[in-house]
Amino acid sequence: MHLSSRRTLRALLLYVIVLMIVIWTIAPYLWLIISSFSSKIELLTVPLRWLPSRPTLENYRSLFFEYGEQSVNARLFIRSLSNSAIISLSTMMIAVVLGVLAAYAIARLRFRGSQWMILAMMTIQLIPPIILVIPLYVIMRQAKLLDTHLGLIIVDLSIALPLVIWLIRSYFASIPSELEDAARIDGCTYLDALFRIVLPLSGPGLVSVMIFAFIASWNEYLYAFIYTNVNAKTLPVLIGEFSTKLGLEYLKIAAAGVLASLPPVVLALIFQRFIIRGLTAGAIK
Amino acid sequence: MRRNVIFLILALLTILAAFLAACAPTTTPTPTTEPGPPKAEATTAAPPQPAQEKITVIFPRHEADITGAFEARVREFEKTIGIQVDLTQSDWDSVADRVIPEMATGGSAYDVVEFDNGWVAEWCGAGWVTPLNDFMPANFTDGMIPGLVDLFSCPDGKLYGVVWNNDTRFFYYNAAKLEAAGFKEPPRTWQEFKQMSLAAKEKGVVQYGMAPSWNQEWALANEFHFWTYTFGGKIVDENGCFEFNKDPNTLAALQFMIDSIKEGVANPAGLTYDQATSQDAFLKGDTLFLPQGIAGLMAYTQDPSISKVAGQVEVGLVPGATPDLSATLTLPEAYAIPVNSKHKEAAWKFIQFMTSRENNEILAKEIGLLPIWTDLYTDPDLLAKYPFWANFQAQLATARGLSKLTWYGDFVDVTIAEVHKALAGEQTAQQALDNMAKGLAQFECKP
Amino acid sequence: MLNLMRAKNLYRPISDNPQVLGLLLTLPALIAILAVVFFPIVSSFWLSLHQKDLSRPQFDAFIGLKNYFNLLHDSRYLNSLWVTLRFSLTSVILEVVLGVSTALVLNQRFVGRGFVRGLMILPWAMPSIVNAAMWKWIYNADYGALNALLTQLHLIDSYKIWLADPKWATILIILANVWKETPFTVILVLAALQTIPEDLYEAARVDGASAWRSFLHITLPLIAPVLMVAAMLQFIWGFQTFELVYVVTGGGPFSTTELTTLRIYATTFRSLRFGYGAAMAYLTSLAILIPAVFYIRSAYRRVVEM
Repeated sequence: MHLSSRRTLRALLLYVIVLMIVIWTIAPYLWLIISSFSSKIELLTVPLRWLPSRPTLENYRSLFFEYGEQSVNARLFIRSLSNSAIISLSTMMIAVVLGVLAAYAIARLRFRGSQWMILAMMTIQLIPPIILVIPLYVIMRQAKLLDTHLGLIIVDLSIALPLVIWLIRSYFASIPSELEDAARIDGCTYLDALFRIVLPLSGPGLVSVMIFAFIASWNEYLYAFIYTNVNAKTLPVLIGEFSTKLGLEYLKIAAAGVLASLPPVVLALIFQRFIIRGLTAGAIK
Repeated sequence: MRRNVIFLILALLTILAAFLAACAPTTTPTPTTEPGPPKAEATTAAPPQPAQEKITVIFPRHEADITGAFEARVREFEKTIGIQVDLTQSDWDSVADRVIPEMATGGSAYDVVEFDNGWVAEWCGAGWVTPLNDFMPANFTDGMIPGLVDLFSCPDGKLYGVVWNNDTRFFYYNAAKLEAAGFKEPPRTWQEFKQMSLAAKEKGVVQYGMAPSWNQEWALANEFHFWTYTFGGKIVDENGCFEFNKDPNTLAALQFMIDSIKEGVANPAGLTYDQATSQDAFLKGDTLFLPQGIAGLMAYTQDPSISKVAGQVEVGLVPGATPDLSATLTLPEAYAIPVNSKHKEAAWKFIQFMTSRENNEILAKEIGLLPIWTDLYTDPDLLAKYPFWANFQAQLATARGLSKLTWYGDFVDVTIAEVHKALAGEQTAQQALDNMAKGLAQFECKP
Repeated sequence: MLNLMRAKNLYRPISDNPQVLGLLLTLPALIAILAVVFFPIVSSFWLSLHQKDLSRPQFDAFIGLKNYFNLLHDSRYLNSLWVTLRFSLTSVILEVVLGVSTALVLNQRFVGRGFVRGLMILPWAMPSIVNAAMWKWIYNADYGALNALLTQLHLIDSYKIWLADPKWATILIILANVWKETPFTVILVLAALQTIPEDLYEAARVDGASAWRSFLHITLPLIAPVLMVAAMLQFIWGFQTFELVYVVTGGGPFSTTELTTLRIYATTFRSLRFGYGAAMAYLTSLAILIPAVFYIRSAYRRVVEM
């Protein structure tokens, strides 16, 4: 049949495009994984072999067991992992709670100063953190916040919050306000409207913003690098230290990078089901 | 409304949290577990109790130290001297970027810090480090390689750092491949170097004589120094006045670098390589020469996971424009004590311990650390273990450091951009040197 | 009547007074941000009015706007500003186009949709230092995967030294950045697409509108608020990119990929010229502030009107 063959063609095309997207997204990452199981000399082979002839776990082993007493590196790695987890999760939760409230106010409540606040938040974003690092260092030292979880959470909040507010605000803005107006006429307060109507409707947006807040903090490098040393050192900082006077140690970075990018991806895979239609399709009608 | 109550609690909590967070930077005391030195002792009126002193130390991990030999020495120090050490060892860049904010803001978090040869003049100018002469016994540096010791003195003549890492670079060549190209002896001049490279290329032994690390990055300024020295060129005089733009030998050095790419002596991909990649290429056997290899390279050649040249590599003398101009770069790193350290005596004890001849020897044995004590180069045990050190000796006598300038950072910044442009063939050597002079004009004759 | 309303306003509970409630809800966030950045911003701006060369303290002085005037003649800085602008703008355009198209595709029904959507986060989840090290090796002239792939596909005859060519270095840096940042747009747009009621499309279909027209008239206006914010954030982040370029090219070949952040880093952390470095940061911010404010105002107005 004409129609069905067109439909098959369309489906085929869709799968081809999806495949292309998947390849584009994971090809470099696959190469990172392959590198992490290769030795340097294999990586230098010309013409390049795409799969190592003798795969090795050496890069992973050296991540965990090298330098001094046996497992000292393993402890370092696990500690950084837990530091990163604590800091990113805390930052994410605080940022989303504060962010939702602020974003709602900015999006829906007409109050004096809202424009000004938006502008202030954006202006702050424009200033490169690299120049704020040193003055902030002085404050952090005086407050005894250097190398502490709390210190980095506070700093990361200043990065994650504007992101969260901006994004949530835009999701709120895309929700028709008629629903709330109706609710308001029925006697709901603004906050009722936020919690009963706006929030449930923006579920997918909220989940994606949470993931972004988490990753923004998980991957934050500059501040973490200068403000943490031992106790609160995060994973990216630990990874960044895999280099010598001569250059980066690519293989170790690859192995650590493969491990470090897993938690956010697992998180995304778990939460992606909330980014699908079902959750909201019913609510909006 | 139940919702309302929940919201109220939530709102209050978050506001409270935000308030706490917001106030935190200004609330002070209550000592937390910060890795700074405890400053309690001074305030206690009781007689000075022998409470264990603690110092905080930061320096980079030595590239050959895969067994934790340095850390073991530090623990030994704790045991024998009775001073606790909070040690941070990481890569060079991280150490630099952590130490600089601390010093720039007058902090006292560290008692012993890495003091790189490239920072000496800048830090002297900034007054960040403590002169060690007050702590040092009179003949302390006797027996150390004099050329290394002097690199860490400031214009006031005092010593501000003691070398822990003698990072002198050496000329390595692949003897097997050189022989395949028809040469028995390593080159003595750059002219021979060029001929051998081209001959090897013609015979199909290698594609290029060398794969230089000429990416536009900090270390390109090292390369500029190295080539200039081996051509007998000058960069700046002792007053910080320019010579690089007037000295014909400096021009010849840069011209040789440019030509080596044009003529196929050097791999043009070297324009994008860092030192690690140059070393990779040499260890893989893709090049004949590694003009500035690290002292521990020989150990690497034995490791089959990174090397295909086991047994082929030899150490030679760096060629010069003429044989007598052989020179090499030394990029030593030292320990120094920040001016604001509150444990200077203890810090000095640490430095003394770590750089002692005895510990230097232990580290040399364990990880092949290049000694700072002259007589260790003739130590029979060490020579049996590292026979190639015999060849290091002649080169060590020609080792030179980087230019000492309070504006060395700016020098690097301008140099690497202009030199890279010249190497890429976008401007001539003379233009590059002139543009350097132009870009650095505001600093001329300021040491 | 008017008085009555005003009186009523006064007695309204806090939770129903937009003015009070609005401030109350935004203040915690604002305080949390300002507590961190306020002092550093003020103090580094003050610093930018000084000559403050840490290694030459004898020359320290208040010099007013001189640093800024010097910057206007600093050809290397001006070049970096242009490079950064080109880098950010190109990145943003590609990220928006690729991001929206990808999101539209992933919004279709197909087997394994959930998994593919979850996978999209991967590039964004990768620590930037790992991303940088990875691309540096891929682009390596002698041993890199890019050259190997292109030769094996017979797209090029011989290995090319990509990063030594200003044009290619610029393109490849942007490519690496786009690869990493596009997922941000994809996920955001994907989430926004979920909130569009299906009946709107059905109505359009009944009217016989083409897919392109319903995209233009239904989808685009509804994802516009999110898209605008995403674009703006990515533009700003483009201006703050550091690790990627620092590691992959170091600003080379001969400063043709040198971003302003690299200039600021070299001036501040390597040359220890804190005053000049701070001035660089503020001039850069100013350079994006003006277009950004116009952009925000129009975006904000459009959103409010909706």
